[in-house]
Amino acid sequence: MMESVDSETPSAPGEAGGETFWRSASPHAPDRVDDGFDEAEYMKANPDVAVAVLSGTVGSAREHFERWGRSEGRDLAFGANDPRGQLIPTQVPAHAPVSLSPIPHAADAVIVSRGGGVLILGWLDDSSHPVDCITVVAPGWRVVFDSAALARHARPDVSEALGKPIPYGYGYLGFVYGDGEIPTDGRCELQFRFKDGRGLAAVLELRTVSELELRVILLSHLTGAPHQAGAPNEAIARLDHGLGSQIIRFNQSLTNAITRTPYVRRFVGPPRKYRGSIVVCIYGRPEYHFIQNALFSTGEDIQDYEFIFISNSPELSDRLLENARKAQRIYGLDQTIILLPGNAGFGAANNIAVQSARSNRLLFINPDVFPKDPAWARKHGELLDTRPKSETQLFGAPLYYDDGSLMHGGMFFEMDSRVAFDGNRTSVSHLLRVEHYGKGAPANSPQFTRARPVPAVTGAFISVARPWFERLGGFTEDYVFGHYEDADLCLKSLQAGVPAWIQDLRLWHLEGKGSTRLPVHEGGSMVNRWLFSSQWGEAVNENLLGPRPTHPLLSDPQP
Amino acid sequence: MKVLLLSLYHPELVRGGAQQICHDLFEGLQEIEGLNPTLLAAVDPSMTHLYKSGARITGFDGRADEFVFLSRGYDYFWNRLEGDDLAEAFENFLLQVQPDVVHFHHFLLFGLDLLTLTRRTLPDARIIFTFHEFLAVCMANGQMVRRTDGSICNRATPIRCHQCFPEISPEYFFMREMWVKRHLDSVDLFTMPSRFMIDLYAKWGVDPDRLAHVTNGQGDGALKPMPSRPRARRNRFGFFGQMVDNKGVWVILEAVSLLRAEGFTDFVVELNGDNLQYASESRRTEIEDFLKAERARPIEDQILFHNGAYEVSQLSTLMGRVDWCVVPSVWREAFGLVVSEAWMHGRPVICSDVGGMAERVIDGENGLHFAVGDPRSLAEVIRRASTEKDLWDRVAAGVRPHESRDVMVDRFLDLYRNGLPTPG
Repeated sequence: MMESVDSETPSAPGEAGGETFWRSASPHAPDRVDDGFDEAEYMKANPDVAVAVLSGTVGSAREHFERWGRSEGRDLAFGANDPRGQLIPTQVPAHAPVSLSPIPHAADAVIVSRGGGVLILGWLDDSSHPVDCITVVAPGWRVVFDSAALARHARPDVSEALGKPIPYGYGYLGFVYGDGEIPTDGRCELQFRFKDGRGLAAVLELRTVSELELRVILLSHLTGAPHQAGAPNEAIARLDHGLGSQIIRFNQSLTNAITRTPYVRRFVGPPRKYRGSIVVCIYGRPEYHFIQNALFSTGEDIQDYEFIFISNSPELSDRLLENARKAQRIYGLDQTIILLPGNAGFGAANNIAVQSARSNRLLFINPDVFPKDPAWARKHGELLDTRPKSETQLFGAPLYYDDGSLMHGGMFFEMDSRVAFDGNRTSVSHLLRVEHYGKGAPANSPQFTRARPVPAVTGAFISVARPWFERLGGFTEDYVFGHYEDADLCLKSLQAGVPAWIQDLRLWHLEGKGSTRLPVHEGGSMVNRWLFSSQWGEAVNENLLGPRPTHPLLSDPQP
Repeated sequence: MKVLLLSLYHPELVRGGAQQICHDLFEGLQEIEGLNPTLLAAVDPSMTHLYKSGARITGFDGRADEFVFLSRGYDYFWNRLEGDDLAEAFENFLLQVQPDVVHFHHFLLFGLDLLTLTRRTLPDARIIFTFHEFLAVCMANGQMVRRTDGSICNRATPIRCHQCFPEISPEYFFMREMWVKRHLDSVDLFTMPSRFMIDLYAKWGVDPDRLAHVTNGQGDGALKPMPSRPRARRNRFGFFGQMVDNKGVWVILEAVSLLRAEGFTDFVVELNGDNLQYASESRRTEIEDFLKAERARPIEDQILFHNGAYEVSQLSTLMGRVDWCVVPSVWREAFGLVVSEAWMHGRPVICSDVGGMAERVIDGENGLHFAVGDPRSLAEVIRRASTEKDLWDRVAAGVRPHESRDVMVDRFLDLYRNGLPTPG
């Protein structure tokens, strides 16, 4: 309809004959455009025209209207006759590009270790445009992180900056372990690909750290900023999609390196045969070494036992050696000190310590466990002599808090379930939880302290026949730092036909005070819970769930 | 019989009641035929010049039977020495001296675990321990005063100790108690200079059958001649001691303020002592401000005077200037040597109604009590002491010099030789 264009004398915008334009003329395409045509309003109502005009594709808004707009029935003004309260579909113009709205984001760090660990940290507002994957391209290597394998977490600072109070996991963490040396110098590019086909890129310097440092950073971040929606289960659920197995492989390689060259030193009196080997894993707190020496040394028959202290804290090495010499002089307990160059974790450290044991009975004791009954060692020996082997192959003991109440009378399992809604998809995740029988109960609670089989016992005190321990393969070393290895060992034993028992030897346990606990350990515990649930969830669900499990080997002799 | 005495510090290096008593005992034992006591006094690394390269135990000032234990790396939380070298030196010393009796007057700077080492090294020796305060029980400098509100503490439990030290969990105090008791188990008998201490330690869990009361003896037991003449009013009061918080100087200051506000000003208080620098900042400021304000008054309006530090040789002169000796300690003094010093000079004592002082000073008989930490109560007693006719003469007549050093030595000798009688 180019022919009908009247290009003469447009009036001042918005006015015609003393009335506002919108009152005097239909805003819809008129048969003939008179002075009422408003270039600005037309472009406002048709953003693609604005782009075309600005880019020079079309000379003016009027030109567009005359050439195409009239026949297309384009609006002359923005929204004047639009129905209210309804979504109005419009055309996506094909002839002119529409600029994409920016996706706020920041890549905080790409942290790498020479051994092949790559950790990415940052935040991304992909609430409207979900991310599909993040690729790191570095000199000599590249890696693609699938969005499902990213741990997402809340970033209150980002929410505030974006002015978006609705909780959302803006933060992201991705980790892979390549199990081989990689170049760690230079810069890398982070390429974000979104599910709608968009893309982003950011360039930043690689940050190189040691393997041990990387583990600390990784695990600290894993729990340092938990996901806003029901942490920690949500964060743990993220481990399912590859992150968990990457962390475990990485940790295993560290453990292997740490346990390769232990330093062993013995402080002993004249040679003697031991009834048992008491293994204590020290971490962070050297004082427990001398306190245990002092308090255990007064017990009856304690001279029949040797102590093996294994240290996961290399910074304590000199003090432990000095104190062991002094403790042997003052208290006379035979002891071996084993020093590791890093934190190998509870399971691996105890397995290493067992190699130095000189008896066929192993007692794993936490540093914050002390005898409540001075005759406990004698009674321990009597148990081994008098009770059926099936009751003493692997057993724990009632443990007490410093306030006198019961802390532990065996352990059982519960299952936590979490329902998550993601679009049209509903998912349910299950995580095992370990509970103690009688926790906080009065000291005199025979129902919790009497001898009986239980699903598991705490690693704070485990007495186990060495051949049986070795047949079970010792503690599983997949767990990070500590937590769940004890339950894992007991379930391995149960699976092999021997349940753990509780036997009435009484000790104090100042639970949680025996080592230094940092955010990194919380990260380890999170991974461990996920691993334990993955490994044992099915078996527990079958007949080991709750305080009264139906597993046939756990039938109570005195129900 | 060979006796080894272990002292926290040597009184010639650091003044203090515990080391003075230990050294007095040592000197007393030296005078007994056939007894060759040995003294081992622990010192701390601040005494740099006593530390000889590579040495752990050395002699002391050319004296045949006096030695110093060159402590270092002491852990004041667990009360033990890090490392083995000092323990080894101590063990060797025990084996060289071969004492029949090992008498500890403290565990500080030695470490509690050396009690156990002593038992292990000398299984047949009699081990005696004299408590001079409550450090075994209370981590707050062994004073059993609540850090929360300054009140007297009657029992140490993990929760109560945690309240005094919120940064330390109750479990640590539980362990501390087990740790301390484990080492005290190596001791055959405990002595303490006051009977209330026996009750407290027994309640804490030390076997009462191993507790004995042995008073701190001093001097020859004779009354010192005093340059004093009869006066119409007995209104001069003296404080003797360190001006640290627990000695309660602030109670005197506030009592003076109260009396002045009431218009009662016909009395004088003399403060004798120093170490104000070891007082807490707030107390130090309070005392300094008070003294400054007092000095700013016209001389005829001044009530309180600070004479500063004094030597033992000056004590008679200073005691002679006052009628009453005020002991306002806000903790339970284990004994209160100053009470003995006052009595030695014929001066009745006005003291807080707690601890070893209250046990020795009988209210109205040989002194007067006031409520611990209560300036109003002290003010009433000062007014009464200044104004009540014949009060001073009556209570001063009840003052007797305390037991002599030799009485103490004899009592300890009996325990060295015979131990405590078997119960029942």
